[in-house]
Amino acid sequence: MKKAILILALAATGTVFAQKKTTTSATVSFDATTKLDALPKAENKTVIASLDPKSGAVAFEAQIKGFQFGNPMMQEHFNGPKWLDSEKNPTSTFKGKITNLSDVHFDKDGSYAADIEGDLAMHGIVKPLAGKATIVVKGGAISATSDFTIKLADYSISNAGGKLADEPKITVSADFK
Amino acid sequence: MSAGTNKKGWLKKLLLAGILLLVVGGGIAWYIFTDKFEDTAGTKAAYTVNALDLINEFKKDDSASNKKYAEQIITVNGRITSVEAADTTLNLKITNPEGSYIIFAFQQKDLAGVKKVKEGDSVSIKGSCSGGSYSEILETEYITFKRCSLNK
Repeated sequence: MKKAILILALAATGTVFAQKKTTTSATVSFDATTKLDALPKAENKTVIASLDPKSGAVAFEAQIKGFQFGNPMMQEHFNGPKWLDSEKNPTSTFKGKITNLSDVHFDKDGSYAADIEGDLAMHGIVKPLAGKATIVVKGGAISATSDFTIKLADYSISNAGGKLADEPKITVSADFK
Repeated sequence: MSAGTNKKGWLKKLLLAGILLLVVGGGIAWYIFTDKFEDTAGTKAAYTVNALDLINEFKKDDSASNKKYAEQIITVNGRITSVEAADTTLNLKITNPEGSYIIFAFQQKDLAGVKKVKEGDSVSIKGSCSGGSYSEILETEYITFKRCSLNK
């Protein structure tokens, strides 16, 4: 009987880790502030994200209008035609994978350094992006955080005469279920 | 009156006009750069809708619904299906039986009230609609709100 329970428990654990994990409350924030302008920074707390522990596939979807600024004018500019043009390009997506999957043990509690490569689509342009993420596994729950920079010029976004940082810092965090 | 006195008078007027322009321009710039979003609780809603009806409206015509609701303050009434951690804060979510959903991110000042909300509670939420999209990841329609406030 005990053996049967153990086998069932192991099978259940295996199923959990084989399933794609998702969240609808991932957070993406960016900081494009400069000495000339302290306003261009914002946060989106309703980003969709997925992580497949089996294949290492990672994906994010963020609505551009979901980025919350402190200043109304800055939010309007961010969504306007000169910046992200959210009417034409309402979402930004990332599709990629963990390239060192064997170093990340989703079945064992711990903190793991993951190398991630993929494509970031923004402002109607798709560019390759590589970065590092920290994946924490605790009691079956998986969370991930990552900091990286992007080049505005790669996505045909002007730095507004130096008011925007040429390479804004992006921070991503997600608690997967 | 000599030409020199006339010139001095004009220079004075020009200087005063310049100072006035600088003060007014500076005031406008200061107002724009220090402007903040008003508390959503005190902002009048453009629409009041039932959550499941809103999801259906977006599913029926995503484009028309985005034109109608995006960046508008809307009151949404419905039953909470999940409370989700979003970094250090909480989001409330209303999902229909097919998995399409509305998700609400709150103003910092409203988080104490949000912490008391439980799954199954009927709520009235006012917030800025960021619009709806079809998620390729979840293969469903979703609508997001920001700067939300819980109605009393």
